[in-house]
Amino acid sequence: MAEDTASLPTPTTEQVQITDPFIELHTGPGRGYPVFFVAARDEWITIEMRHTDWYRVHTAGGKVGWVNRKQLETTLTAAGGTKTFRDVVLDDYLNRRVQLGAAIGRFKSEPMLKLWTSYRLSDTISVEGTVGQVQGLYSGTDFWHLNLTMEPWSDKRLSPFFGVGFGKLKNFPNISLVSAVDTNAKLANASVGLRYYLTERFVVRADYSIYTAYIADTRSGEYRAVTAGLSFFF
Amino acid sequence: MQIHQLALAAGLAASLAASLVPAVALAQSTAPEQKTPNEQVITPEVDRRDIKMPRFPSNDFEIGIFAGTYSTQNFGASAVAGLRAGYHITEDIFVEGVLAQTKVSDEDFRQVLPSGIFTSPKQKLSYYNLSVGYNILPGETFIGAKRAKASALYLIAGVGSTRFVEQRRQTFNVGMGNRLFLTDKAALQIDLRDHIFSLDLLGKRKNTQNLELTGGFTYFF
Repeated sequence: MAEDTASLPTPTTEQVQITDPFIELHTGPGRGYPVFFVAARDEWITIEMRHTDWYRVHTAGGKVGWVNRKQLETTLTAAGGTKTFRDVVLDDYLNRRVQLGAAIGRFKSEPMLKLWTSYRLSDTISVEGTVGQVQGLYSGTDFWHLNLTMEPWSDKRLSPFFGVGFGKLKNFPNISLVSAVDTNAKLANASVGLRYYLTERFVVRADYSIYTAYIADTRSGEYRAVTAGLSFFF
Repeated sequence: MQIHQLALAAGLAASLAASLVPAVALAQSTAPEQKTPNEQVITPEVDRRDIKMPRFPSNDFEIGIFAGTYSTQNFGASAVAGLRAGYHITEDIFVEGVLAQTKVSDEDFRQVLPSGIFTSPKQKLSYYNLSVGYNILPGETFIGAKRAKASALYLIAGVGSTRFVEQRRQTFNVGMGNRLFLTDKAALQIDLRDHIFSLDLLGKRKNTQNLELTGGFTYFF
């Protein structure tokens, strides 16, 4: 069975042998769902699917239920090795590359909302894409920018970061203003911030940015923004 | 070959000083000696087992459609429909983005103000938001006496933006909902949400509370 695995597509199920004294099968992927079956040590089970930290297993006796990762951590594979399950601890932080976050704050004293995603190129450098909106009383602004972010002490739980980037913004007035016109401008930005690794996959982040909008050849506007938000790793 | 060389060396050496002979002969005899390449004594006949770690299919992402009623403060309720996409980070916490729209009518005002409030009797209201939800009451819902389905009551809150009558307002939303899993991949969802934003339509800017009740279908992948 195992000889030809290299040529076969990656399997989507796996048989493992229970090493915990017993595992509890829940009816759903969560601790709040009732336990309806208990499988004992040495029994073989098949892992079929994952939802967050819960795995749907199929016992030799035909029962199908959800088991928490913790109870499967030491199970043995058919090859005799212990299973390596996705486990996220602080040390694992740097192995995670894609992060998604949202933040709210103030852009020149007006409420702003931004959504960003970052990809970690190396331990200390990542690229970041941001889309956001400023919802002012008299005008609104949509913007996007791409940043290069440096995080020199990225292995620390609390760590500062610095970023620079460019993008575009579009300012459109609310209709109550008569003479206002839409503004389309390129922007450059620089930001400093602090990142705090919360737990498991969550990170809180606060930053301060200076945006420069090149409104016309001879005119540019400068805006300051402060935001705070939450992000998580995929 | 070596012997020839040795003989040649010895011949040459004879014409040289006698004391040099042993040294030259020694040097010639050791240098060309070649070692055979290392041969493996035992060839192992063990089949290498290539273990491929399985990639279990996961269903942490969700995508869904929903429809229901959206009650715009001062303007009555109207039908709303939208899309949602989400990601379940842990068994408790999930994030969700929603995009929806409704048509709001100022019909009630036109009874007393024939020109109405809006430029046209119906105005589009659209919103988006990003929210974080917490599954506070996971459990089972019984359908009849013998069938039970996994379900979860969740609390949810977030921020977003509402666009209504050419005004874009930052919008906070709070609410709760219930998700009933039909299978491991499909769920029915009921959601009650309050959208809070300020609006300046009736001469004064004020915060509005806009309640929404929707039902939807969600697919996990």
